[in-house]
Amino acid sequence: MPRGQKSKLRAREKRHQARCENQDLGATQATVAERESPSSAYLLFGDRPQNLPAAETPSIPEALQGAPSTTDATAPVSCTSSNEGASSQDEKSLGSSREAEGRKEDPLSKKVVSLVHFLLQKYEKKEPITKGDMIKFVIRKDKCHFNEILKRASEYIELAFGVDLKEVDPIRHYYAFFSKLDLTYDETTSDEEKIPKTGLLMIALGVIFMNGNRAPEEAVWEIMNMMGVYADRKHFLYGDPRKVMTKDLVQLKYLEYQQVPNSDPPRYEFLWGPRAHAETSKMKVLEFVAKMHDTVPSAFPSCYEEALRDEEQRTQARAAARAHTAAMANARSRTTSSSFSHAK
Amino acid sequence: MQGSTRRMSVMTDVHRRFLQLLMTHGVLEEWDVKRLQRHCYKVHDRNATVDKLEDFINNINSVLESLYIEIKRGVTEDDGRPIYALVNLATTSISKMATDFAENELDLFRKALELIIDSETGFGSSTNILNLVDQLKGKKMRKKEAEQVLQKFVQNKWLIEKEGEFTLHGRAILEMEQYIRETYPDAVKICNICHSLLIQGQSCETCGIRMHLPCVAKYFQSNAEPRCPHCNDYWPHEIPKVFDPEKERESGVSKSNKKSLRSRQH
Repeated sequence: MPRGQKSKLRAREKRHQARCENQDLGATQATVAERESPSSAYLLFGDRPQNLPAAETPSIPEALQGAPSTTDATAPVSCTSSNEGASSQDEKSLGSSREAEGRKEDPLSKKVVSLVHFLLQKYEKKEPITKGDMIKFVIRKDKCHFNEILKRASEYIELAFGVDLKEVDPIRHYYAFFSKLDLTYDETTSDEEKIPKTGLLMIALGVIFMNGNRAPEEAVWEIMNMMGVYADRKHFLYGDPRKVMTKDLVQLKYLEYQQVPNSDPPRYEFLWGPRAHAETSKMKVLEFVAKMHDTVPSAFPSCYEEALRDEEQRTQARAAARAHTAAMANARSRTTSSSFSHAK
Repeated sequence: MQGSTRRMSVMTDVHRRFLQLLMTHGVLEEWDVKRLQRHCYKVHDRNATVDKLEDFINNINSVLESLYIEIKRGVTEDDGRPIYALVNLATTSISKMATDFAENELDLFRKALELIIDSETGFGSSTNILNLVDQLKGKKMRKKEAEQVLQKFVQNKWLIEKEGEFTLHGRAILEMEQYIRETYPDAVKICNICHSLLIQGQSCETCGIRMHLPCVAKYFQSNAEPRCPHCNDYWPHEIPKVFDPEKERESGVSKSNKKSLRSRQH
């Protein structure tokens, strides 16, 4: 028998077996998990499937349930063309029978939970999140459900942690977290442990912006030196300023540090990183700089003009995004029954 | 006890901020956790009475339950400091490392873990670990690289290094205990007192039972003639002192905060 046929037969047998055995979602999950060939990148030990306690999965409280499985029933059935396609169809059919029972878990909730774990880890490490990584490590063969899984995971995280997940780069599909609790970057540390890097960062962003959106390393350090921060001298607040500027803030995507093209001997320059663009604005940075000089933004006419143009662009982008969200929310409110409320 | 009555679990911004900050730190000592909690109240709900930490955390955990996450409390094996971390319940939790490390790096960790679990002292020597680099799955790794990877594990609080030897960080034990017990049921050591996973500890030379250092400290506290709880033979090891958070703060030893010491609030 050609290989394809055999696997299909096996899959059919297993499906039949699973259906007969019990309606317990846990059992089917286990079967599916066993058949998945886990990439050893995600599971340390290739032979161990993810362990969600099979028998007693507590039902997700109403408040934390995202759009219920009604959306599953309408999801496109042609997910993948591999053998695994057979099993995912199985999940879907179970999903629709589940939806009848209302509050029970649906097949995607396992992925939602895994994605939540994955995202929280990224949050903890302040690492950038890409759609590619999410699919590679978590979503895998369910990638046609990516949007729904991501949406539900984000809702959980928003409700429990007060953190929003936003796509900061729609081209490269980069996502980042934004606290809804009005934390400025410094407040996340406040008087607790961690080093406040915001001051240093804002100064750097200011120098870069005023210098025409790229600043040679020397220029940045010159300004820093005036505030008693030296690249190679330990600072009581910032620790190792060179490391903070050229490594930490770069890794966090607030800054970019690159070689000046065609420089020989090689010289380096700083630019704004994508996260700086997302989390602050030219106007805000200009306001910061102005305050430091005890003046107003308009005292720097050309920079001020550029900042104004930037503001306008952002306003337009925000309006477009709002319109889009409103449309989505409208569609969602027709299907969602979640009625949780923020208790203050 | 009043503390055990379950109230309606409600997540407020106090809890959310607490979670955000706890997550950012990865693992925290109890004193820092309490301070964090007070800070969150101060920011969001100045006039409310600060919940007892245990209730506060139970409240949060009941909401996180459906996400298979919880705030777990543990104790460092060497000096009995209480620590807290947000851990995954569902997965083996080594998968938490899996997205940070390459296949061969994960395998290196696994090898180190096995050495640590099998060892008598709970430590795996750097030499022994590095000698296993040839057996690693994935891309070939040189010993020099492996040394760097081990340092990465230390920085990320999965391993602790002491004089060229490695053991598990308290955080790793919190996160991976369940996994370790399931994966190495025969090799794993258990504390006779608290029945949790034991990596470092003292053992009875007669009957072989083991106890964590902080468990020994508590069990034999103010006992002039310590005897093995199992075979009653004389306990030959030095009895460590019970961890006292008050004493820690007063002597300014607490390494987590070099800034001004706060006066007691409770």
